[in-house]
Amino acid sequence: MSEATAKTTEAKAGAAFEPRIAAFVCNWCTYTGADLAGTSRIQMAPNVRVVRLPCTGRIDPMFIIKAFERGADGVIVSGCHPGDCHYSAGNYHARRRFAIFREIMSFIGIDPNRITFSWVSASEGRKWGDVVDETVSRIRGLGPFAGYKNLVEKTHAGA
Amino acid sequence: MTRQMFISESALKSLAEELVKAGTRLVGPARERNGDLVYREASDLGEIELGGDPPTRSLKEFFLPPTEVLLTYRQKQGDVEVTPAPHVFAPLVVIGARPCDAAAVAAVDKVMDWDYHDELWFGRRLATTIVSVACGGGDASCFCTAVGLAPDSAKGSDVLLVPVEGGFHAEILTEKGEALVKAHAARFTEGGKAEAAKAYRDAARGKVQANLSADPAKIRAFLEAGFDHPIWKGIALRCHGCGACAFVCPTCHCFDIVDEPDSIERGTRRRNWDTCQAAKFTLHGSGHNPRNEQNCRIRQRMMHKFAIYPARFGEILCTGCGRCIRVCPGGMDLLETLDKLGRLPAGAPAEAKRGAP
Amino acid sequence: MQELRELAKKLLAEGAVKVVVGYAEGRQGVRPIFAATPEDADKLIFDPRCVQNLATYLSPRRAHVAALGKLAVVVKGCDAMAAAGMIREAQRKRDDFVLIGVRCGGVLADPRASAAVTEATVAARCPGCEVREPKIVDHLLGPLPPAPPGASALDARIAELDAMTPEERFAFWTSELAKCVRCNACREICPMCFCVRCVCDKSQPQWIESSPHARGNLAWHMTRALHQAGRCVGCGECERACPVGIPLSLLNRKVARVVAERFDYVVSDDPEKPAPIGTYRLEDDQEFIR
Repeated sequence: MSEATAKTTEAKAGAAFEPRIAAFVCNWCTYTGADLAGTSRIQMAPNVRVVRLPCTGRIDPMFIIKAFERGADGVIVSGCHPGDCHYSAGNYHARRRFAIFREIMSFIGIDPNRITFSWVSASEGRKWGDVVDETVSRIRGLGPFAGYKNLVEKTHAGA
Repeated sequence: MTRQMFISESALKSLAEELVKAGTRLVGPARERNGDLVYREASDLGEIELGGDPPTRSLKEFFLPPTEVLLTYRQKQGDVEVTPAPHVFAPLVVIGARPCDAAAVAAVDKVMDWDYHDELWFGRRLATTIVSVACGGGDASCFCTAVGLAPDSAKGSDVLLVPVEGGFHAEILTEKGEALVKAHAARFTEGGKAEAAKAYRDAARGKVQANLSADPAKIRAFLEAGFDHPIWKGIALRCHGCGACAFVCPTCHCFDIVDEPDSIERGTRRRNWDTCQAAKFTLHGSGHNPRNEQNCRIRQRMMHKFAIYPARFGEILCTGCGRCIRVCPGGMDLLETLDKLGRLPAGAPAEAKRGAP
Repeated sequence: MQELRELAKKLLAEGAVKVVVGYAEGRQGVRPIFAATPEDADKLIFDPRCVQNLATYLSPRRAHVAALGKLAVVVKGCDAMAAAGMIREAQRKRDDFVLIGVRCGGVLADPRASAAVTEATVAARCPGCEVREPKIVDHLLGPLPPAPPGASALDARIAELDAMTPEERFAFWTSELAKCVRCNACREICPMCFCVRCVCDKSQPQWIESSPHARGNLAWHMTRALHQAGRCVGCGECERACPVGIPLSLLNRKVARVVAERFDYVVSDDPEKPAPIGTYRLEDDQEFIR
């Protein structure tokens, strides 16, 4: 690669960093809230891909790991406010699980700021837009998370 | 006829320096940060321990890595485009290999060139020169002499060094060994010190022989007739099925091939180590598992190493390195099992009284 | 010692159990014995080399052991917690087995070592142990030895890691986990890894990459640490079983501390106390949730 091309590629890469964000949301509150944001024409960053699940209680932290493995720069996990769970307590269980998972990530040395946890109800279209915008701008600040995906290269000699 | 030479300690150090300078990878038993002795790349002979403790892991990972890429694939409008992994087999010289580890590589060569010629294995094999150092007799887990080897076996080595006063008696065993000597001719002196080496070799053999004397032929005869022998029923009680034995074994070579998708269109096919000690190893898609509990899996391990592989390839798939014993968290002891099997008569199952394992 | 042997013989003679799982002298150090006869019972011992967690043999995954019939198991405090854990999580019933508790003053790190328990030789998990006299047991034997000396080296190491920058911690863990060959010894030996089908063995979809590369290893060990939250009894068997020497106890102990701080739950040998995962409190902290 010539120096000139290298520079252009670099500049392109720098300018083109658009965070890729996976959002795991519950069907009953956040997904409906995100729907409301859409029908209300609320403007928000377009970087988020939403995965709908029945409940935050169904969101296994493995989903987050998988998202990072497949190249996500950030993740949003969102569901019903405490007391609002369609299944009574799924979000309380999820809350415990994610509290521990965050600490494990942090102890391993992965910045927990890569993940946003939020409660967004079906009526909080505006809040969903804020959560998305805030997450995108935070991840933009943290930069790409290729280090995780490319970990595969740091492995046994000869592999 | 093997050529006998002598190399002093300082000459060996210079030889290693020359190798590194020429860009050859130098591997030998060296300490890790946590104090474990493992075969790893070294930049200087000073890092390498030529004797002493047995390395915790074997040499096999340099020929069959725990994971390696076989190919990458990409789907394009119904077609699949496959790109073989670009493997480069860089020259490698192992200095200080244990004779049991060198012998293991030679034993595994047979299966790797059987119904399929494994290019990756042999690519690395051809690029590697193994300089072994005769072992001083190991520890209480060693039993190489009971499987037809010895602490100074030449099998699998290109050069065998035997420690003598001031350096090593060197036996040049193969063409690769000759090539190494030729490339560093100034480091060697003709003649060897076979006389001086003899005392060391005899002492080491005697030490290992004291651990176990068993007749592999007798064990094989028992295994071939004793598949249903009651001894197998309690053989694995303390075994956890963890498979650590197979992963540290220099001769265990089973692998699993997996596809790791990056997306729906693209992915990587890898080859990873696997073990017959894992419950999932023989699990059928139907849910049936012919080796449904640990006793069967241990029997399989014994059968494969001491009967099936010898029948097919004329080699025992065990070099008596003792790693499986050292590493076992449940206290399983292959040496003890071999001793027990060697005492059982071949043929009809005896009415075995189940003692405490 | 004699007390232990007599009890084992009595249990076997009365037919209360078929086998007593305990410790015996092996060719190299102490190892488990499955004593079914009075002669075997006479081989039972207990001393600081009795490192192994024998409660693991109660795991429903040990079909070849379960086939022997009812077991009595010799347990230290940490082992008793594992037996309690299996009951708590509905894997076994209390009446399925007999527990022979032994009062413990700490063990060595290696069952093949031979030394007195001192600050230098004691297993890292032992100092500060609070279950030296297990309560769940059917029999409790021996005098209570002095408490294990010193402070846990694990706590000191965790403090060091906590003080590092995230980048340094990441470098530390990726280099440790890069050694992992995915033999799964840590899982197989763990008394609390009782799932008949582990999530990492599922291949459709393959949640956890089975390849022993740094990324698959990280996914496996993070998932394992999470699944051990509120379960791990801290017996350290995973680390002892690891053939490549990954310091798994650091991760487990860190998670145990998080659980203690956030949910006020410490793993004990009380099978009635509900596990922290699977339960919740309305007032659990949620400072990390927007």
